[in-house]
Order: sequence, then C-alpha cells, then structure tokens
Amino acid sequence: MYRIFIILATFISLVPQAWCQSDTTVTLAGEPYVYTKWESFTRESTHGGLINDHIFWLEADGDSLWIGTEGGLVLYENGTWKSWTEKDGLPWNVVMGIAKDPKTGDLWLALFGEGIARFSGGYFEHFTQVNSGLLNDVVYGVDIQGDNVWVATTAGISRYNQVSGEWTVFNEKYAPMKEVWTYNVDAAEDKVYFAVWGGGILEWDVATESWKVYLDPDGQMEIDLYRDDGLVHDITTAASYIDGVLWAATYFGLSRYDGRNWRGYMDHDSGLPSNFINLVAGRSKNSAYNCTDKGLGVLVDYETDTWVAYQRDTEDAKTWTAHVMVGKQEIKTVPTNLHLPNHFTTSVEFMGDDVWIGTGHGLARGIGKGYYTGLRDKSPTFGVSRSSASQNNNFRKK
Amino acid sequence: MKRSSVLLAIVVIVCTYFLSANVNAQTHSASKSDTLSYAKTPWEYLPYNRFKNPYKRFFLKTLEYTGYGRHIPEPEHIDTVKIGFIGPIIGSVYESTEGQEDIELKVNQRVIRWDGYQASHLASIGIKMLQGAKLAVEQANAKGGYRGKAPYKLIVRNDNGNWRSSGREVIMLAYKDSVWAILGTVDGANSHIAIRVAFKAEIPVVNTANTDPTFVETRIPWVLRGITDDRQMCYLLADFAFEKLGLKRIAALRATNRYGRMGIDELRDAATRLGHPFMVELQYEEGDTDFSDQLKRIQSMNADGVITYGNTKESTLILKQMRKMGLNQWFFGSDRMVTKEFLASVGKTGGHVAAGYPYDPSRKDAKYLQFIDNFQNRYGEAPETYAAHAYDGMNMIIAAIEKAGLNRALIRDQLVSMSHYKGVTGIKELDAVFSNRSPATLAILKDGKFEFYSRKKIFSDKFNFEN
Repeated sequence: MYRIFIILATFISLVPQAWCQSDTTVTLAGEPYVYTKWESFTRESTHGGLINDHIFWLEADGDSLWIGTEGGLVLYENGTWKSWTEKDGLPWNVVMGIAKDPKTGDLWLALFGEGIARFSGGYFEHFTQVNSGLLNDVVYGVDIQGDNVWVATTAGISRYNQVSGEWTVFNEKYAPMKEVWTYNVDAAEDKVYFAVWGGGILEWDVATESWKVYLDPDGQMEIDLYRDDGLVHDITTAASYIDGVLWAATYFGLSRYDGRNWRGYMDHDSGLPSNFINLVAGRSKNSAYNCTDKGLGVLVDYETDTWVAYQRDTEDAKTWTAHVMVGKQEIKTVPTNLHLPNHFTTSVEFMGDDVWIGTGHGLARGIGKGYYTGLRDKSPTFGVSRSSASQNNNFRKK
Repeated sequence: MKRSSVLLAIVVIVCTYFLSANVNAQTHSASKSDTLSYAKTPWEYLPYNRFKNPYKRFFLKTLEYTGYGRHIPEPEHIDTVKIGFIGPIIGSVYESTEGQEDIELKVNQRVIRWDGYQASHLASIGIKMLQGAKLAVEQANAKGGYRGKAPYKLIVRNDNGNWRSSGREVIMLAYKDSVWAILGTVDGANSHIAIRVAFKAEIPVVNTANTDPTFVETRIPWVLRGITDDRQMCYLLADFAFEKLGLKRIAALRATNRYGRMGIDELRDAATRLGHPFMVELQYEEGDTDFSDQLKRIQSMNADGVITYGNTKESTLILKQMRKMGLNQWFFGSDRMVTKEFLASVGKTGGHVAAGYPYDPSRKDAKYLQFIDNFQNRYGEAPETYAAHAYDGMNMIIAAIEKAGLNRALIRDQLVSMSHYKGVTGIKELDAVFSNRSPATLAILKDGKFEFYSRKKIFSDKFNFEN
C-alpha cells in the first residue's frame, strides 16, 4: 500500500509540470482581416497637397478627411487636397485636434498654443484665454457632446455651450483631478472621457453631471503590480469609449474596461508593437487600434486575443509588414504595400471599411475591400507550442 | 480502513501541492538579490518589496525616439545657432513692465486675468540658472561659436512659476524662435507641461533644476535631467535619520504646493517601508509665516525628528519657531533650504539640521574651482547650485550641437548618449530615462555653516552625530 501511495503522490506532483511542458499547438480561432492594400501620402508624393508631413489628428467627414498637421489644416476630398494656414486666416498652424459638430457642421480645432477655433462658413473664429473661458491656450484635444464643446487643455478641462454661450471650467478645484494636464477627450452621447497626464482617466456622466476618476491602483510610477487590477498607469494619453467599453492608452501599455473588469496589455504579453501609445481608437467593444511609436497595433478580437501589428520591420524596409499574432505569439506575417518611411504613428481614423493612419512623416489609407469584423470562420493550424503561447496568453478563451 | 487512509493521504497531498503552488504564486516577493532597480532604489525602499514582485517594472530599458526627425536636413544658411532658455526670471510685476537690462527677455506673454501673472516667487532660482547658462554660451562663443561658423544665441523666455504658461513658451521657442534645444525650467508642474509640449514639437529639453522624481517617469524620450533628484536625496536622508541616528518618530510639515507634495513622497514611502511611518504629515501654504498651530501639535506628539519640504523662506521660519518653542530635535529639509539666506537667518542657533543636496559644492577639483573663478569674475558673486547645474546643462547642449549638427533629433541622440558627462557639479550618470543618478550628499549644519557628507562619510565610524 505504501508503494501505491508513493507512486500516486509522485504521479500527481508531476502531472501539472508535464501538462505545462506538453508541445501542443496554438491555433488561430479564425482569420483576422489584414489591411494589405494601402495608399501612402507625403508632402513630396502629393506635390505639396499635403502641406505638412507631421500629422497630429485625422477626422472623417463622410468620404472626406480633415487632417490636423504641424503646418496647417488639410482637407482630402474626392482625391484632391485643400489646405488652410495662417495666411488663410487659420489662427495658428499647429492643429492638434479636430472635431466636427454633427448638428451644425462646424469644425472645431484644437490649436497647440493658441486656444481653439471654430471653422464655419469658411471663416475661423478664435477662442483664447483672453477672450473666452479656456483654461489654457495649449490645447491637445476637442470633442462635441450635444451642444457642448469639450476642450482638453494643459491646465484642465473647459466646456463651451454653443447655445447659451456659457463656459465651464474643470480643474483641481472643480473635478477629482490628481493632476490637471489633460491630453485627450472622447465624447459619446452618455459619457465623456478624458485622458489626464498623471491623473488617469476622468469620466463625465452626462445624465448625472458628475465625475468619476480611474487611477492605477498600485499608485506607483515605476511598476505595475498586477496586470488586471485597473488602469495600467496614471500617465494616460488617450481614451476611447465605444459599445460601453473604455479603451485607455498610456505610455506604459493599454487598458480595457467594460464597466466591471479591467484588462491590461503590454508589449511583452500582447500583440502591441510597443507600450508607448500615442492614441487609441476603439472600433468596437472587441477591437482597438493603437498608434504606437513602433507601428499600429490592432487588437482585432478581444475574446481570442488576436492581433495584427503593422510595422516597418527594419530601418531599410520599403514597405510595412502585418504581423498576425495571438497574444505575444506571432502566427504569420503578411506583406503590405504601405510604404511610409517611418512607423511612429500618431493618429487613426475609420472611414467605412477603410482605415486612415497619420504618422510623424506622412499619411496612409488602408483599403478595406472585403473588410469584416472579428475573425473569419477558418482555423488553420500553425506549429506553435502551446507552452510558450500559454505563458503569454492565459486569458485567451477557446 | 487502510484504503480510506490512503485515499485521505492522497487528497491531502494533492490539496497541499496545489495550495502551496498557489500561495507561492501569490506571495512571491522581491528578492534582495534582484539587481534590476530603477533609480538605484535600495531593496528596502522598493514598493511592495515584501509582498510581491510586480507584474512589470518600468524605466529599466533605455528610452527610444523612433520618429522621423533624424532625416530632416540641416539648414543651409545660419546667422546664429539659437538655444532656448525658459525659467522664472521675473520676480515682480514691476520688473515685467520695466524689464531688466541684463536679460534678453522677449516679453510677448499676454498678461491675463490676474495681477502678477508674469511674476514668480522662484525668480531667485531662475536668475541664477540664467547666469550659469549665459556664462556657458559666452565661453563657447569666445572659442568661435558653432563649429567656428556662427555664434550661439540664447533666446530667453520667462516662466512665471504659475503653471499655466510654460507650455506656450516652449511652443514659441520651438515654432517661432526656432531654437535647437531648450534648457529649463524649475517648478515641477511647469516642467511637466514643458516636456509634454517638447515631445509633440520634437525638441530636446535639458532640465537642471527640477528634482521632482516623476518628471522623468513619463517616458518622454526628448528630456534629460542633469540634477540628482529627490529620490536620491530622500533615500540618503531616510538612511541618515532612521539608520544612522536611529530615529523612529518623525513628524512632517510640508508645503501644500507640488514641490512639497511630490518632494516628500519618497521619504514618506521610505519611512513606511522601514517600519517608521510619519506620525503626522501637516501642511502649510506657501507664504505662511506662523507655524505655531502645526508645531504645537508636533510638540504634543513627542516626535524625535521633524521633516519639512518647501522653500528656504518657510523652512527657515519653521526652524526658528521650533527652537523658540523648545523643540530641539533633528530638523530635516530639502535642498532648497541649503542657502545663504537660511544661514544668515538661522546663524549658529539652528541646532541639529540636515538636508539632502544634489552634489558636493565643497569639492576641490580644478574644473569646479575654475568655474567658480570665472563666475565670480563675470557676475561678482559666487555661483550656487542652480547656476552651476545650468552651466553644466548648457555645456552639454553645446557639446551635443557641436557633435550632431543642426538637427533636433540628432542633438537629442548626442545628449542622451552622455551617460558619464563630467561637469563642474561632478559626473552626470544618466540612467535609462536620462536622469542623473550621481550620488546625493547630505548638508549638515555645523557652527553656522553647512558641511557636506557623502553616504560613505556619514556611515564611517569616524563620524558620530548627536541625537
């Protein structure tokens, strides 16, 4: 009996290790859509149509695209380029953000160092600290919610009601702001989110007119204590709210919050090309496009942790490559014809099935012919060991 | 019976196995042998060190700039090579309207809303920074300027100390003045604003006066800090207070401003992690002159040490009022307390006083002594810490421009590659986020003067400090 006991005990203690080391394969739960055909635009390739290569913001307007650059405002419409600079009445050339008011058709511009401007009927109306309720002229973002224009400034949040003309300000005195340096705003019908540099994510509830703040629970700058305990870091750079899900970008990774559970993503445990995320745009509750300093990281399907990362693989690479990944595990690579010279991505925008990206040097449009959401029902098997994949992808559901 | 015993044993083994594995996974704490430590943080001061290894440690890999900037060609014709300076250099509204002869200030800030918008209580620091920076530029021009082709020109902009203007000033330096790099600023909040702007505009910023630890903990690859920060100073102060002196009951009284809030952070955490959390952390408003209420409370707690974090003026008043009330315990402070003004006011009656300091100003090396001579000749007074650090910072910028040429990204690359730059304030040891990690010193008051001690000296058997 004693022998049986020893054998059983040994067997039981060895089973988990053997299971962990078994060489099973990871499969794609389905094929993600990969943008392989792109149109690339630079100042040079457009013969100056795109007046500046340093892109800060993209805003779709039907089939047209508004582009905020370091050197002016640009409109791409029906294959032609039109631009506005200080010579044309634009108050300041550095356009950091754009929002189109769906009610009025006016365009609101975040001007980096010169407040905001309303572009209406071909004229620019200029709002600054001097003539309005703007908290600061260094403006990073602007968005519209109902009649309100929400403005993310370096000294807090300003809100302008277009009907009443009333300005309201929110800083450390009037909102739960650990810091006031507001970097980005994303407004939906029911909620408005702000990425506050050093202050996490602020949520404004439209119905109750109240604030809620989300901070990194460990409270430390130099670590992330647990992966899924909350916001990855307090140094947030962007927020995107869609289908009841909040996507939050930081320079330390990505966070997803569905109202109950948090999920954290970093470059060592996911398909993110880098933790340094300039902007995130949610396409659905399951998909988010991340503009990083090393390319575009697309979480295609949250449930299966399937990613496509678009990058220039080497400094000499003429075109970008799409890396299809499950968690951190690369499954395959797909060539694309995207040929911008740098993959420091700053902005992203959806136009129907197409996707536009802005970079530190140029602009590109991914042609979404045959685009589909999520994964296509096809499960090719690839030779990836389960053990290595499972280490990086414990959360994946089969 | 036997069969049931065996089954029971198996169940116990299985449960024990999985429970122990789970417990191990949940409680695996940081090991003292873990060598990866950001900012030379001693194991004792690592967050959550006794409970868990973090999921991710940041700031251990060198920051990268992956943008396009390096491909931008150098301009063909230049008359001057412009370098930006931003710092609080106007101390009053009067000065802002009259101007100062010695400052090439572009007064194009708009005066808005409140009186004194352009004034700063930190002007005394900013002026010293400007003096150090100007001396470096003048010396470079005396040697022929940029590669012998064109003189360097300092473009000076005021940072009012009110944290709402520095961002716009950096924008103007980047887009209107077209400078190649910027030196500045002082205040922690202003500095944060400035570097976010610098990141978007892609322009290098060298900071030589902001000791706020979080300044570089933002992963902006365009920023370099050339001064030892409050982390290093607080670790040394904590070691001195708790280990060397063996104190256990520390009370804190700090400024409510960002400097007080952020500066004391590491000391508070260190005290807690050593098992001696602050008995109390009281606050005061900048400009307060009467601290009796706070000090009475501290008196009632029988603290064996008091720590403050704030500017010279308030720190001096707190100490004097403490001593007047018969509170003779150790008084600890920040580097902003180590000034001529503090010594002049406190004299030889300060008692036990110690403060963290970012370098050793009593060093005798030739380069440093030469700098003191030059500064004295130029300005008729001795340099202090902010002048000396700014002098080093500006020399780093000039050296980077000489090597890189006129391209902001390449200048940035050269700057961050200076991982062991030898300046007049000592060797700059840049870490992965380009913050100087050269050892802090401790300034201890003795006979009406500050004496500077390295960690080694403090813990040598030769020195005993009265408790």
